[in-house]
Amino acid sequence: MTNLKHYDIIRTPVVTEKATIQAENNKVVFDVAKTATKPEIKAAVEQLFSVKVKSVNTLVRKGKTKRFRGIIGTQSNVKKAIVTLEEGHSIDITTGL
Amino acid sequence: MQVTETSTEGLKRELKIVITASELAEKLDAYLEDLKGRAQIRGFRPGKVPKAHLKKLYGKSAMAEIVNTVIGETSNKALEERSEKAAMQPQIKLSDEDAEKILSGDLDLAYDLSYEIVPEFELAPVDGIAIERPVVEVADSEVEERLTQIAEGARSYVAREEGAAAQNGDRLTISYLGKIDGEPFEGGADDRAAIFLGQGRFIPGFEEQLIGLKVGDKKVIEVTFPEDYQAKHLAGKPATFDIEVFEVAAPGELKLDDDWAKTLGMDSLDALKDIVKQQIESQNGGQTRQKVKRQLLDALDAQYSFELPATLVEQEFNAIWGQVEAEMKAAGKTFEDEDTTEEKARADYRKIAERRVRLGLVLSKFGEREKVQVNEQELQRALIERARQFPGQEKAVFDFYRRDANALASLQAPVFEEKVVDVLLGLIKVTDKTVTKEELFKDDEEPAV
Repeated sequence: MTNLKHYDIIRTPVVTEKATIQAENNKVVFDVAKTATKPEIKAAVEQLFSVKVKSVNTLVRKGKTKRFRGIIGTQSNVKKAIVTLEEGHSIDITTGL
Repeated sequence: MQVTETSTEGLKRELKIVITASELAEKLDAYLEDLKGRAQIRGFRPGKVPKAHLKKLYGKSAMAEIVNTVIGETSNKALEERSEKAAMQPQIKLSDEDAEKILSGDLDLAYDLSYEIVPEFELAPVDGIAIERPVVEVADSEVEERLTQIAEGARSYVAREEGAAAQNGDRLTISYLGKIDGEPFEGGADDRAAIFLGQGRFIPGFEEQLIGLKVGDKKVIEVTFPEDYQAKHLAGKPATFDIEVFEVAAPGELKLDDDWAKTLGMDSLDALKDIVKQQIESQNGGQTRQKVKRQLLDALDAQYSFELPATLVEQEFNAIWGQVEAEMKAAGKTFEDEDTTEEKARADYRKIAERRVRLGLVLSKFGEREKVQVNEQELQRALIERARQFPGQEKAVFDFYRRDANALASLQAPVFEEKVVDVLLGLIKVTDKTVTKEELFKDDEEPAV
Protein backbone atom coordinates (compact mmCIF):
# COMPACT_ATOMS: atom_id res chain seq x y z
CA MET A 1 0.00 0.00 0.00
CA THR A 2 2.93 2.27 0.51
CA ASN A 3 4.16 2.07 -3.02
CA LEU A 4 3.18 5.40 -4.54
CA LYS A 5 4.13 4.14 -7.94
CA HIS A 6 0.90 2.21 -8.05
CA TYR A 7 -1.08 5.39 -8.06
CA ASP A 8 0.79 6.46 -11.18
CA ILE A 9 -0.04 3.28 -12.98
CA ILE A 10 -3.77 3.20 -12.33
CA ARG A 11 -5.12 6.53 -13.51
CA THR A 12 -8.87 6.23 -13.17
CA PRO A 13 -11.64 3.66 -13.36
CA VAL A 14 -13.70 3.68 -16.53
CA VAL A 15 -17.39 4.18 -15.86
CA THR A 16 -19.32 3.48 -19.04
CA GLU A 17 -22.11 1.24 -20.17
CA LYS A 18 -19.68 -1.23 -21.58
CA ALA A 19 -17.60 -1.25 -18.40
CA THR A 20 -20.60 -1.79 -16.16
CA ILE A 21 -21.73 -4.70 -18.31
CA GLN A 22 -18.33 -6.31 -17.97
CA ALA A 23 -18.49 -5.80 -14.22
CA GLU A 24 -20.99 -8.62 -14.13
CA ASN A 25 -18.26 -10.98 -15.34
CA ASN A 26 -15.99 -9.87 -12.52
CA LYS A 27 -14.01 -7.62 -14.80
CA VAL A 28 -12.97 -4.09 -13.96
CA VAL A 29 -11.79 -1.53 -16.47
CA PHE A 30 -9.16 1.13 -15.74
CA ASP A 31 -7.36 3.83 -17.63
CA VAL A 32 -3.69 3.14 -17.00
CA ALA A 33 -0.40 4.84 -17.74
CA LYS A 34 0.80 4.33 -21.30
CA THR A 35 4.01 2.79 -20.12
CA ALA A 36 2.36 0.35 -17.70
CA THR A 37 2.85 -3.35 -18.34
CA LYS A 38 0.43 -6.13 -17.47
CA PRO A 39 2.43 -7.38 -14.46
CA GLU A 40 2.70 -3.82 -13.16
CA ILE A 41 -1.04 -3.32 -13.49
CA LYS A 42 -1.71 -6.61 -11.78
CA ALA A 43 0.52 -5.71 -8.87
CA ALA A 44 -0.98 -2.23 -8.59
CA VAL A 45 -4.60 -3.41 -8.56
CA GLU A 46 -3.86 -6.18 -6.09
CA GLN A 47 -2.15 -3.72 -3.78
CA LEU A 48 -4.51 -0.81 -4.03
CA PHE A 49 -7.79 -2.67 -3.79
CA SER A 50 -6.62 -5.70 -1.80
CA VAL A 51 -7.97 -8.20 -4.30
CA LYS A 52 -6.59 -11.12 -6.27
CA VAL A 53 -6.26 -10.56 -9.99
CA LYS A 54 -6.70 -13.48 -12.38
CA SER A 55 -5.58 -11.82 -15.56
CA VAL A 56 -5.02 -8.46 -17.21
CA ASN A 57 -5.83 -7.56 -20.80
CA THR A 58 -4.72 -4.23 -22.17
CA LEU A 59 -5.46 -2.16 -25.23
CA VAL A 60 -4.34 1.19 -26.52
CA ARG A 61 -7.01 3.41 -27.96
CA LYS A 62 -5.32 5.59 -30.52
CA GLY A 63 -6.03 9.31 -30.30
CA LYS A 64 -8.09 10.78 -33.09
CA THR A 65 -6.78 13.49 -35.36
CA LYS A 66 -8.80 16.60 -34.71
CA ARG A 67 -8.96 19.91 -36.44
CA PHE A 68 -9.51 23.03 -34.40
CA ARG A 69 -9.65 26.40 -36.19
CA GLY A 70 -7.92 24.84 -39.13
CA ILE A 71 -5.02 23.54 -37.12
CA ILE A 72 -4.53 19.81 -37.01
CA GLY A 73 -3.98 18.27 -33.61
CA THR A 74 -3.94 14.80 -32.21
CA GLN A 75 -5.66 13.50 -29.11
CA SER A 76 -3.40 11.52 -26.89
CA ASN A 77 -3.50 7.73 -26.90
CA VAL A 78 -5.15 6.04 -23.96
CA LYS A 79 -4.18 2.69 -22.52
CA LYS A 80 -6.98 0.76 -20.92
CA ALA A 81 -6.67 -2.36 -18.83
CA ILE A 82 -9.44 -4.88 -18.41
CA VAL A 83 -8.67 -6.62 -15.16
CA THR A 84 -10.33 -9.96 -14.45
CA LEU A 85 -10.60 -10.64 -10.75
CA GLU A 86 -10.45 -13.99 -9.04
CA GLU A 87 -13.73 -15.58 -8.04
CA GLY A 88 -15.14 -13.95 -4.89
CA HIS A 89 -13.29 -10.65 -5.20
CA SER A 90 -14.84 -7.35 -6.19
CA ILE A 91 -14.03 -3.68 -6.48
CA ASP A 92 -16.44 -0.84 -5.93
CA ILE A 93 -15.05 1.54 -8.48
CA THR A 94 -17.26 4.52 -7.75
CA THR A 95 -15.96 4.89 -4.21
CA GLY A 96 -12.63 5.99 -5.59
CA LEU A 97 -9.13 5.20 -4.50
CA MET B 1 -46.36 4.55 9.12
CA GLN B 2 -46.70 4.28 12.83
CA VAL B 3 -48.05 7.06 14.99
CA THR B 4 -47.75 7.16 18.75
CA GLU B 5 -48.86 9.96 20.95
CA THR B 6 -46.11 10.95 23.34
CA SER B 7 -47.81 13.77 25.17
CA THR B 8 -51.05 15.67 25.38
CA GLU B 9 -51.12 18.75 27.44
CA GLY B 10 -53.97 21.14 27.09
CA LEU B 11 -54.00 22.02 23.44
CA LYS B 12 -50.46 20.84 22.85
CA ARG B 13 -49.94 17.55 21.14
CA GLU B 14 -46.79 15.61 20.49
CA LEU B 15 -46.68 12.68 18.18
CA LYS B 16 -43.92 10.28 17.32
CA ILE B 17 -44.14 9.09 13.79
CA VAL B 18 -42.10 6.16 12.52
CA ILE B 19 -41.63 5.15 8.94
CA THR B 20 -39.62 1.97 8.39
CA ALA B 21 -36.49 1.99 6.28
CA SER B 22 -37.99 -0.53 3.87
CA GLU B 23 -40.87 1.84 3.16
CA LEU B 24 -38.36 4.54 2.36
CA ALA B 25 -36.32 2.17 0.21
CA GLU B 26 -39.41 1.41 -1.84
CA LYS B 27 -39.97 5.08 -2.43
CA LEU B 28 -36.33 5.54 -3.38
CA ASP B 29 -36.60 2.72 -5.88
CA ALA B 30 -39.58 4.29 -7.53
CA TYR B 31 -37.81 7.63 -7.57
CA LEU B 32 -34.70 6.20 -9.22
CA GLU B 33 -36.79 4.34 -11.75
CA ASP B 34 -38.28 7.65 -12.72
CA LEU B 35 -34.88 9.31 -12.78
CA LYS B 36 -33.42 6.59 -14.96
CA GLY B 37 -35.41 7.67 -17.95
CA ARG B 38 -34.20 11.26 -17.65
CA ALA B 39 -30.66 11.13 -16.34
CA GLN B 40 -27.87 11.96 -18.76
CA ILE B 41 -24.56 10.66 -17.54
CA ARG B 42 -21.27 10.55 -19.43
CA GLY B 43 -20.49 7.12 -20.74
CA PHE B 44 -24.09 6.03 -20.86
CA ARG B 45 -26.86 6.46 -23.36
CA PRO B 46 -29.94 8.11 -21.89
CA GLY B 47 -32.06 5.57 -20.04
CA LYS B 48 -29.31 2.95 -20.04
CA VAL B 49 -27.73 3.85 -16.72
CA PRO B 50 -27.81 0.90 -14.31
CA LYS B 51 -29.90 1.64 -11.26
CA ALA B 52 -27.12 0.63 -8.90
CA HIS B 53 -24.93 3.26 -10.47
CA LEU B 54 -27.63 5.91 -10.19
CA LYS B 55 -28.15 5.10 -6.58
CA LYS B 56 -24.50 5.57 -5.90
CA LEU B 57 -24.52 8.93 -7.62
CA TYR B 58 -27.83 10.39 -6.52
CA GLY B 59 -28.95 8.17 -3.63
CA LYS B 60 -28.28 10.70 -0.88
CA SER B 61 -29.94 13.70 -2.42
CA ALA B 62 -32.84 11.60 -3.66
CA MET B 63 -33.29 10.23 -0.18
CA ALA B 64 -33.25 13.69 1.32
CA GLU B 65 -35.99 14.76 -1.04
CA ILE B 66 -38.00 11.66 -0.29
CA VAL B 67 -37.65 12.10 3.45
CA ASN B 68 -38.81 15.68 3.10
CA THR B 69 -41.95 14.85 1.20
CA VAL B 70 -42.63 11.83 3.39
CA ILE B 71 -42.46 13.97 6.50
CA GLY B 72 -44.83 16.49 5.00
CA GLU B 73 -47.24 13.81 3.86
CA THR B 74 -47.21 11.76 6.99
CA SER B 75 -47.60 14.71 9.33
CA ASN B 76 -50.63 15.84 7.38
CA LYS B 77 -51.98 12.33 7.31
CA ALA B 78 -51.42 11.84 11.00
CA LEU B 79 -53.40 14.97 11.76
CA GLU B 80 -56.10 13.90 9.37
CA GLU B 81 -56.40 10.47 10.91
CA ARG B 82 -56.72 11.97 14.33
CA SER B 83 -59.17 14.45 12.85
CA GLU B 84 -57.39 17.36 14.47
CA LYS B 85 -56.61 20.71 13.04
CA ALA B 86 -53.32 22.37 13.84
CA ALA B 87 -53.61 26.00 14.79
CA MET B 88 -50.31 26.73 13.12
CA GLN B 89 -47.72 24.92 11.08
CA PRO B 90 -46.64 21.89 13.18
CA GLN B 91 -43.08 21.74 14.43
CA ILE B 92 -41.02 18.81 13.28
CA LYS B 93 -38.06 17.57 15.24
CA LEU B 94 -35.45 15.31 13.72
CA SER B 95 -31.94 14.99 15.05
CA ASP B 96 -29.11 15.60 12.59
CA GLU B 97 -27.28 12.53 13.73
CA ASP B 98 -30.18 10.31 12.88
CA ALA B 99 -30.80 12.14 9.65
CA GLU B 100 -27.42 11.01 8.33
CA LYS B 101 -28.27 7.39 8.98
CA ILE B 102 -31.75 7.68 7.64
CA LEU B 103 -30.45 9.10 4.40
CA SER B 104 -28.19 6.13 3.90
CA GLY B 105 -31.17 3.89 4.53
CA ASP B 106 -29.84 2.28 7.69
CA LEU B 107 -32.37 3.62 10.10
CA ASP B 108 -36.11 3.90 10.30
CA LEU B 109 -37.32 7.43 9.86
CA ALA B 110 -38.66 8.55 13.20
CA TYR B 111 -39.54 12.12 14.05
CA ASP B 112 -41.45 14.11 16.61
CA LEU B 113 -44.33 16.22 15.55
CA SER B 114 -45.48 18.87 17.95
CA TYR B 115 -48.34 21.23 17.36
CA GLU B 116 -51.27 22.92 18.96
CA ILE B 117 -54.73 22.01 17.94
CA VAL B 118 -57.50 24.44 17.25
CA PRO B 119 -59.56 24.27 20.41
CA GLU B 120 -62.78 22.36 20.20
CA PHE B 121 -65.68 24.37 21.36
CA GLU B 122 -69.39 24.31 20.89
CA LEU B 123 -70.95 27.29 19.29
CA ALA B 124 -73.21 28.74 21.87
CA PRO B 125 -76.71 29.64 20.75
CA VAL B 126 -76.83 33.23 19.67
CA ASP B 127 -80.49 33.89 20.32
CA GLY B 128 -79.62 34.91 23.85
CA ILE B 129 -77.67 37.87 22.65
CA ALA B 130 -79.59 41.07 22.51
CA ILE B 131 -78.11 44.09 20.95
CA GLU B 132 -79.20 47.67 20.94
CA ARG B 133 -78.67 49.39 17.71
CA PRO B 134 -78.09 53.04 18.39
CA VAL B 135 -80.04 54.94 15.81
CA VAL B 136 -80.06 58.62 15.35
CA GLU B 137 -83.26 60.09 14.05
CA VAL B 138 -82.33 62.69 11.56
CA ALA B 139 -84.28 65.65 12.79
CA ASP B 140 -85.86 68.00 10.32
CA SER B 141 -84.04 70.83 11.98
CA GLU B 142 -80.74 69.16 11.14
CA VAL B 143 -81.72 68.89 7.52
CA GLU B 144 -82.82 72.50 7.52
CA GLU B 145 -79.54 73.51 9.04
CA ARG B 146 -77.59 71.69 6.37
CA LEU B 147 -79.79 73.26 3.69
CA THR B 148 -79.21 76.73 5.08
CA GLN B 149 -75.50 76.11 5.02
CA ILE B 150 -75.70 75.16 1.38
CA ALA B 151 -77.84 78.18 0.63
CA GLU B 152 -75.58 80.64 2.43
CA GLY B 153 -72.68 79.50 0.34
CA ALA B 154 -74.51 80.75 -2.72
CA ARG B 155 -76.41 83.73 -1.35
CA SER B 156 -77.07 86.50 -3.80
CA TYR B 157 -76.90 90.19 -2.97
CA VAL B 158 -79.05 92.89 -4.41
CA ALA B 159 -77.87 96.47 -4.59
CA ARG B 160 -79.82 98.83 -2.33
CA GLU B 161 -81.45 101.83 -3.83
CA GLU B 162 -79.50 105.03 -4.03
CA GLY B 163 -78.90 106.76 -0.72
CA ALA B 164 -79.75 103.80 1.46
CA ALA B 165 -77.58 103.38 4.53
CA ALA B 166 -75.55 100.22 5.00
CA GLN B 167 -76.89 97.84 7.59
CA ASN B 168 -75.45 94.96 9.39
CA GLY B 169 -75.34 91.92 7.09
CA ASP B 170 -74.95 93.99 3.95
CA ARG B 171 -72.26 93.62 1.39
CA LEU B 172 -70.22 96.76 0.77
CA THR B 173 -67.95 97.42 -2.11
CA ILE B 174 -65.29 99.87 -0.96
CA SER B 175 -61.84 101.06 -1.65
CA TYR B 176 -59.63 101.73 1.28
CA LEU B 177 -56.17 102.96 2.07
CA GLY B 178 -54.70 102.18 5.43
CA LYS B 179 -52.12 104.41 7.09
CA ILE B 180 -50.06 104.16 10.21
CA ASP B 181 -48.71 107.50 11.47
CA GLY B 182 -49.79 109.01 8.19
CA GLU B 183 -47.73 106.55 6.14
CA PRO B 184 -49.45 103.97 3.94
CA PHE B 185 -48.39 100.45 4.93
CA GLU B 186 -48.04 97.31 2.97
CA GLY B 187 -51.22 95.30 2.44
CA GLY B 188 -53.29 98.13 3.80
CA ALA B 189 -54.95 99.15 0.56
CA ASP B 190 -57.49 97.61 -1.75
CA ASP B 191 -59.68 98.76 -4.59
CA ARG B 192 -63.32 97.83 -4.73
CA ALA B 193 -63.12 95.07 -2.18
CA ALA B 194 -66.25 93.27 -1.07
CA ILE B 195 -66.79 93.42 2.66
CA PHE B 196 -69.54 91.55 4.41
CA LEU B 197 -70.70 93.45 7.43
CA GLY B 198 -71.24 91.53 10.59
CA GLN B 199 -69.02 88.60 9.71
CA GLY B 200 -66.12 89.92 11.70
CA ARG B 201 -63.46 88.95 9.23
CA PHE B 202 -61.78 92.33 9.43
CA ILE B 203 -59.97 94.15 12.17
CA PRO B 204 -62.29 94.64 15.15
CA GLY B 205 -64.09 97.94 14.88
CA PHE B 206 -63.57 98.24 11.13
CA GLU B 207 -66.86 96.79 10.00
CA GLU B 208 -68.85 98.48 12.73
CA GLN B 209 -67.74 101.91 11.57
CA LEU B 210 -68.94 101.19 8.06
CA ILE B 211 -72.55 100.77 9.15
CA GLY B 212 -74.68 103.66 8.04
CA LEU B 213 -72.49 104.67 5.09
CA LYS B 214 -74.09 105.41 1.73
CA VAL B 215 -72.90 105.02 -1.82
CA GLY B 216 -70.40 107.74 -2.63
CA ASP B 217 -69.55 108.41 1.00
CA LYS B 218 -65.96 108.99 1.99
CA LYS B 219 -64.83 108.50 5.52
CA VAL B 220 -61.69 108.14 7.55
CA ILE B 221 -61.97 105.56 10.25
CA GLU B 222 -59.60 104.79 13.07
CA VAL B 223 -58.91 101.33 14.33
CA THR B 224 -56.27 99.66 16.42
CA PHE B 225 -54.78 96.39 15.28
CA PRO B 226 -55.25 93.74 17.93
CA GLU B 227 -52.21 92.66 19.94
CA ASP B 228 -52.28 89.17 18.50
CA TYR B 229 -52.60 90.27 14.88
CA GLN B 230 -50.85 87.80 12.59
CA ALA B 231 -48.73 90.45 10.87
CA LYS B 232 -46.22 91.24 13.61
CA HIS B 233 -45.25 94.73 12.44
CA LEU B 234 -48.88 95.85 12.60
CA ALA B 235 -49.95 94.22 15.83
CA GLY B 236 -51.16 96.64 18.50
CA LYS B 237 -50.71 99.74 16.32
CA PRO B 238 -53.39 102.34 15.69
CA ALA B 239 -54.19 102.94 12.06
CA THR B 240 -56.44 105.10 9.95
CA PHE B 241 -58.27 103.97 6.85
CA ASP B 242 -59.49 106.26 4.08
CA ILE B 243 -62.71 104.70 2.83
CA GLU B 244 -64.74 105.28 -0.28
CA VAL B 245 -67.99 103.39 -0.74
CA PHE B 246 -69.05 102.30 -4.23
CA GLU B 247 -71.92 99.99 -3.58
CA VAL B 248 -74.17 98.92 -0.78
CA ALA B 249 -75.95 95.65 -1.42
CA ALA B 250 -78.52 93.95 0.75
CA PRO B 251 -78.46 90.20 1.14
CA GLY B 252 -80.97 88.39 -1.01
CA GLU B 253 -83.58 86.47 0.85
CA LEU B 254 -82.66 82.93 1.73
CA LYS B 255 -85.38 81.12 -0.06
CA LEU B 256 -85.50 77.42 0.44
CA ASP B 257 -88.00 76.53 -2.20
CA ASP B 258 -88.42 74.43 -5.32
CA ASP B 259 -86.90 77.03 -7.59
CA TRP B 260 -83.77 77.20 -5.55
CA ALA B 261 -83.58 73.41 -5.48
CA LYS B 262 -83.82 73.43 -9.24
CA THR B 263 -80.78 75.64 -9.54
CA LEU B 264 -78.91 72.91 -7.69
CA GLY B 265 -80.10 70.33 -10.21
CA MET B 266 -82.83 68.80 -8.05
CA ASP B 267 -86.42 68.27 -9.08
CA SER B 268 -87.91 69.89 -6.03
CA LEU B 269 -87.06 71.03 -2.56
CA ASP B 270 -88.36 67.77 -1.12
CA ALA B 271 -86.04 65.80 -3.33
CA LEU B 272 -83.14 67.90 -2.13
CA LYS B 273 -84.19 67.38 1.44
CA ASP B 274 -84.33 63.65 0.94
CA ILE B 275 -80.85 63.62 -0.46
CA VAL B 276 -79.45 65.70 2.35
CA LYS B 277 -81.18 63.42 4.81
CA GLN B 278 -79.73 60.36 3.17
CA GLN B 279 -76.30 61.90 3.35
CA ILE B 280 -76.59 62.50 7.05
CA GLU B 281 -78.05 59.06 7.59
CA SER B 282 -75.23 57.32 5.79
CA GLN B 283 -72.71 59.23 7.87
CA ASN B 284 -74.44 58.07 11.02
CA GLY B 285 -74.95 54.58 9.61
CA GLY B 286 -71.25 53.78 9.52
CA GLN B 287 -70.92 54.71 13.15
CA THR B 288 -74.01 52.74 14.08
CA ARG B 289 -72.66 49.64 12.40
CA GLN B 290 -69.40 49.94 14.28
CA LYS B 291 -71.20 50.19 17.57
CA VAL B 292 -73.41 47.24 16.79
CA LYS B 293 -70.49 45.14 15.70
CA ARG B 294 -68.68 46.01 18.84
CA GLN B 295 -71.57 45.01 21.00
CA LEU B 296 -71.85 41.74 19.16
CA LEU B 297 -68.18 40.98 19.57
CA ASP B 298 -68.31 41.91 23.22
CA ALA B 299 -71.24 39.56 23.71
CA LEU B 300 -69.46 36.76 21.87
CA ASP B 301 -66.31 37.35 23.82
CA ALA B 302 -68.23 36.99 27.04
CA GLN B 303 -69.83 33.75 25.89
CA TYR B 304 -66.68 31.81 25.17
CA SER B 305 -63.88 31.03 27.49
CA PHE B 306 -62.10 28.09 25.92
CA GLU B 307 -58.38 27.64 26.07
CA LEU B 308 -56.46 29.37 23.32
CA PRO B 309 -53.50 28.05 21.38
CA ALA B 310 -50.54 29.81 22.94
CA THR B 311 -48.65 30.13 19.68
CA LEU B 312 -51.50 31.96 18.01
CA VAL B 313 -51.86 34.36 20.90
CA GLU B 314 -48.13 34.89 20.90
CA GLN B 315 -48.12 35.67 17.23
CA GLU B 316 -51.00 38.09 17.50
CA PHE B 317 -49.45 39.72 20.52
CA ASN B 318 -46.14 40.19 18.79
CA ALA B 319 -47.87 41.81 15.87
CA ILE B 320 -49.72 44.25 18.14
CA TRP B 321 -46.71 44.87 20.30
CA GLY B 322 -44.51 45.60 17.33
CA GLN B 323 -47.02 48.15 16.15
CA VAL B 324 -47.35 49.75 19.55
CA GLU B 325 -43.63 50.02 19.97
CA ALA B 326 -43.22 51.51 16.53
CA GLU B 327 -45.89 54.07 17.31
CA MET B 328 -44.28 54.91 20.63
CA LYS B 329 -40.99 55.39 18.93
CA ALA B 330 -42.49 57.53 16.19
CA ALA B 331 -44.25 59.69 18.76
CA GLY B 332 -41.10 59.82 20.87
CA LYS B 333 -42.96 58.70 23.96
CA THR B 334 -42.21 56.25 26.69
CA PHE B 335 -44.64 54.20 28.71
CA GLU B 336 -44.11 56.47 31.66
CA ASP B 337 -45.53 59.35 29.66
CA GLU B 338 -48.70 57.39 29.21
CA ASP B 339 -48.95 56.76 32.90
CA THR B 340 -48.28 53.06 32.68
CA THR B 341 -45.30 50.80 32.85
CA GLU B 342 -44.13 48.55 30.10
CA GLU B 343 -45.25 45.46 31.98
CA LYS B 344 -48.70 46.82 32.51
CA ALA B 345 -49.01 47.74 28.87
CA ARG B 346 -47.79 44.30 27.90
CA ALA B 347 -50.43 42.66 30.01
CA ASP B 348 -53.09 44.87 28.52
CA TYR B 349 -52.11 44.15 24.99
CA ARG B 350 -51.85 40.46 25.69
CA LYS B 351 -55.45 40.52 26.76
CA ILE B 352 -56.38 42.22 23.55
CA ALA B 353 -54.46 39.63 21.59
CA GLU B 354 -56.29 36.87 23.38
CA ARG B 355 -59.59 38.48 22.65
CA ARG B 356 -58.75 38.83 19.00
CA VAL B 357 -57.66 35.24 18.67
CA ARG B 358 -60.74 34.00 20.49
CA LEU B 359 -63.11 36.08 18.41
CA GLY B 360 -61.28 35.13 15.26
CA LEU B 361 -61.79 31.46 16.04
CA VAL B 362 -65.41 31.93 16.99
CA LEU B 363 -66.20 33.98 13.92
CA SER B 364 -64.49 31.56 11.58
CA LYS B 365 -66.41 28.71 13.11
CA PHE B 366 -69.65 30.58 12.70
CA GLY B 367 -68.68 31.32 9.15
CA GLU B 368 -68.08 27.64 8.55
CA ARG B 369 -71.43 26.71 10.00
CA GLU B 370 -73.30 29.32 8.03
CA LYS B 371 -71.29 28.53 4.93
CA VAL B 372 -70.13 32.07 4.49
CA GLN B 373 -67.93 32.50 1.51
CA VAL B 374 -66.24 35.47 0.02
CA ASN B 375 -66.85 35.58 -3.67
CA GLU B 376 -64.74 37.02 -6.40
CA GLN B 377 -66.70 40.25 -6.72
CA GLU B 378 -66.51 41.10 -3.06
CA LEU B 379 -62.81 40.47 -3.08
CA GLN B 380 -62.49 42.71 -6.09
CA ARG B 381 -64.37 45.44 -4.30
CA ALA B 382 -62.15 45.14 -1.27
CA LEU B 383 -59.16 45.34 -3.54
CA ILE B 384 -60.41 48.51 -5.16
CA GLU B 385 -61.12 49.99 -1.75
CA ARG B 386 -57.59 49.15 -0.72
CA ALA B 387 -56.09 50.64 -3.85
CA ARG B 388 -57.97 53.85 -3.21
CA GLN B 389 -56.04 54.34 -0.04
CA PHE B 390 -52.90 54.83 -2.08
CA PRO B 391 -53.74 57.51 -4.58
CA GLY B 392 -51.41 57.57 -7.51
CA GLN B 393 -50.16 54.07 -6.88
CA GLU B 394 -53.35 52.18 -7.64
CA LYS B 395 -51.73 50.11 -10.30
CA ALA B 396 -48.86 49.04 -8.11
CA VAL B 397 -51.29 48.01 -5.39
CA PHE B 398 -53.32 45.96 -7.85
CA ASP B 399 -50.26 44.24 -9.17
CA PHE B 400 -49.02 43.48 -5.70
CA TYR B 401 -52.21 41.73 -4.74
CA ARG B 402 -52.47 39.94 -8.08
CA ARG B 403 -49.08 38.43 -7.66
CA ASP B 404 -49.18 37.57 -4.01
CA ALA B 405 -51.81 35.02 -3.06
CA ASN B 406 -51.03 35.49 0.63
CA ALA B 407 -51.68 39.20 0.49
CA LEU B 408 -54.96 38.55 -1.24
CA ALA B 409 -55.91 36.15 1.52
CA SER B 410 -55.19 38.82 4.10
CA LEU B 411 -57.52 41.08 2.18
CA GLN B 412 -60.15 38.40 2.26
CA ALA B 413 -60.14 38.05 6.04
CA PRO B 414 -61.88 41.33 6.93
CA VAL B 415 -64.46 40.83 4.21
CA PHE B 416 -65.18 37.38 5.58
CA GLU B 417 -65.47 38.79 9.07
CA GLU B 418 -67.92 41.45 7.94
CA LYS B 419 -70.06 38.87 6.24
CA VAL B 420 -70.12 36.62 9.27
CA VAL B 421 -71.10 39.58 11.42
CA ASP B 422 -73.90 40.30 8.97
CA VAL B 423 -75.15 36.74 9.18
CA LEU B 424 -74.98 36.78 12.96
CA LEU B 425 -76.85 40.04 13.14
CA GLY B 426 -79.59 38.37 11.16
CA LEU B 427 -79.79 35.62 13.76
CA ILE B 428 -79.91 37.61 16.92
CA LYS B 429 -82.29 40.09 18.37
CA VAL B 430 -81.42 43.63 17.49
CA THR B 431 -83.50 46.34 18.98
CA ASP B 432 -83.31 49.86 17.75
CA LYS B 433 -82.66 52.51 20.28
CA THR B 434 -82.83 56.13 19.48
CA VAL B 435 -79.92 58.09 20.76
CA THR B 436 -78.60 61.53 20.24
CA LYS B 437 -75.82 62.25 17.88
CA GLU B 438 -73.40 62.94 20.68
CA GLU B 439 -74.04 59.57 22.23
CA LEU B 440 -73.52 57.83 18.94
CA PHE B 441 -70.17 59.38 18.31
CA LYS B 442 -68.91 58.97 21.83
CA ASP B 443 -65.76 56.91 21.93
CA ASP B 444 -65.64 53.50 23.45
CA GLU B 445 -62.96 53.11 25.98
CA GLU B 446 -61.38 49.87 24.97
CA PRO B 447 -59.72 49.63 21.61
CA ALA B 448 -61.96 47.95 19.10
CA VAL B 449 -61.17 44.59 17.61
